[in-house]
Amino acid sequence: MKLSGNAWKFTQEDISTDLIRGKAYSHLPAKEQGAHCLEELDAGFAAKAQPGDFIVAGKNFGCGSSTAAHVAVIGLGIGAVIAESLGKLFITNAASAGLWAISCPGIIEFSNAGDKLELDTANWQLRNLTSGKTIKTNSLPEFLREMIELGGEKNYLRARLAREASV
Amino acid sequence: MHALQKIVAARAQPARSNAVAGEFLEIEPDIFSVIVSFNATEARHLVANLTDLGVKNLPIKHKIIAFSDHGSPAPSASAAEGHKLWRDFYRAHGVEVIDGGAGISHLVLVERGIAGPGDIVINQDSHAPTVGAIGAFGTSLGGGRMMLYALGRYWIEVPKVVLIKLEGRLRPGVFGRDVALHVNGVLGQQGALGMGLEFAGSYVSEASMDMRFTLCNMGTEMGAVSSYIQPDARTLEWLKPRCKKPFTVFETDADFNYDSTHVIDVGAIEPQVAVPHNCDDVKPVSVVAGRRIDQAYLGSCASGRLEDIATAAAVIKGRKVHPDVRLIITPGSREVLMAATKAGYIDTLHEANAIVTNANCGACPGIHGGILAPGEVAISSSTRNNKGRMGKGAEIYLASPATVVASAIAGCIASPREYF
Repeated sequence: MKLSGNAWKFTQEDISTDLIRGKAYSHLPAKEQGAHCLEELDAGFAAKAQPGDFIVAGKNFGCGSSTAAHVAVIGLGIGAVIAESLGKLFITNAASAGLWAISCPGIIEFSNAGDKLELDTANWQLRNLTSGKTIKTNSLPEFLREMIELGGEKNYLRARLAREASV
Repeated sequence: MHALQKIVAARAQPARSNAVAGEFLEIEPDIFSVIVSFNATEARHLVANLTDLGVKNLPIKHKIIAFSDHGSPAPSASAAEGHKLWRDFYRAHGVEVIDGGAGISHLVLVERGIAGPGDIVINQDSHAPTVGAIGAFGTSLGGGRMMLYALGRYWIEVPKVVLIKLEGRLRPGVFGRDVALHVNGVLGQQGALGMGLEFAGSYVSEASMDMRFTLCNMGTEMGAVSSYIQPDARTLEWLKPRCKKPFTVFETDADFNYDSTHVIDVGAIEPQVAVPHNCDDVKPVSVVAGRRIDQAYLGSCASGRLEDIATAAAVIKGRKVHPDVRLIITPGSREVLMAATKAGYIDTLHEANAIVTNANCGACPGIHGGILAPGEVAISSSTRNNKGRMGKGAEIYLASPATVVASAIAGCIASPREYF
């Protein structure tokens, strides 16, 4: 599938799940969590981000605790997180909730803040519509791609349970 | 193949004799360790989702075990509500719930022989790699919770493996936790990102099981999906009275290619401190000695074991906690607390005016048992020093139990060397 949005850059390395969403907000509904997304690093980010925008990040984004920080990212309506590299738990936590979190070595160099980016998950290609350049992202395994395209783990399981029941 | 890779292949559905790093394999875990969480919303969502999917029985319910280790007993009415919902859910499905005084999953799973070598342990908590010290594949849940409840299956990416060779003998006053902090400083938070992390070398061979657990625990902070120490005679001796089920010890092939190898001379290490707010910002304690502290904390799945408490008692015996400091001791498990009581360590700590709590995760995740106020400074043997973790606006210095207690006596960050 193809999705596009404007880039918000967080170049710092090792942005932990606690920085993505403070623990104090973990009990809030997703949308309210979204209002606090990454506030420690950019207090104005959540208010300015538009639905569908991309977070572009440095190495090891989403490291640390397995806490559900991706909920804040989804609550804010972010279309995809594309980072130099990602914490393993963050990738699968995000996929489980239907959020694209993809590693893409070179992404910081490839995009400026505000650039319009287009991600094509059919061929794992990212196009910078502002600069006209393209870059290959790392791929996700097929079952995770299916999971995200279906909207998350629940829909994936529903499809799979139906498939297995019909065999 | 590495032992960790062989474990994943053996548990794959269907089982595989071979597996290549980077492959995702669907597995059935030996143990799925979950939390009696304080989050009521999550419990309601899960129940609604499973009902929606038509899941009435959990296919691996006998392999699921629930720990009330985070914020237990409940520190607030809302946490109590969350705990109740989760307990009700687990009990309704016949899942064993381990009580709130038993301790932290990472300790209890191995102490009680629930996990053995060669097992895959999926743990909802992120310090799952701890059980690698007995040769198990412990990895944290990242997504996939519903799949484990509904299908009893999970996915694991067969990892590459980084080898850390720890050679030499420690100086007096230097402990396994100092080694773990030092390794974290050398490798950084991405040193084993998405990979397995094996500890070997002469130091590891001589290290106690308690210190081996400490080493493996810190794999998480270097991005590792799993830690590993090849079981040896000491491991098997430790397991003998504990693990009564049959188990398999896997071994790494002689021709296995590690992603990278780091050799570290532990004899050169001084007591270490990770300064705020990154676990890999590690310095010798001498650099920050004299820094004022408000709280000293000893506990957590990193350093809440008997040897840690024995060291604390040895340092503080006949001395007192500085009047401006709170020294909080949270044993990692009931087994640790009972053994420490029997050995007289707990009396020694009480006599020194330390606060001793029940066994659980305690102040480490900032839920209860020693939350810090803005502007306060703590020295702590807990797992992480992320900004805000133990209290908004506070600073956390990570150190060994010996350094924590030496600092509690001095009223400021202090080296423990003079006590050894």
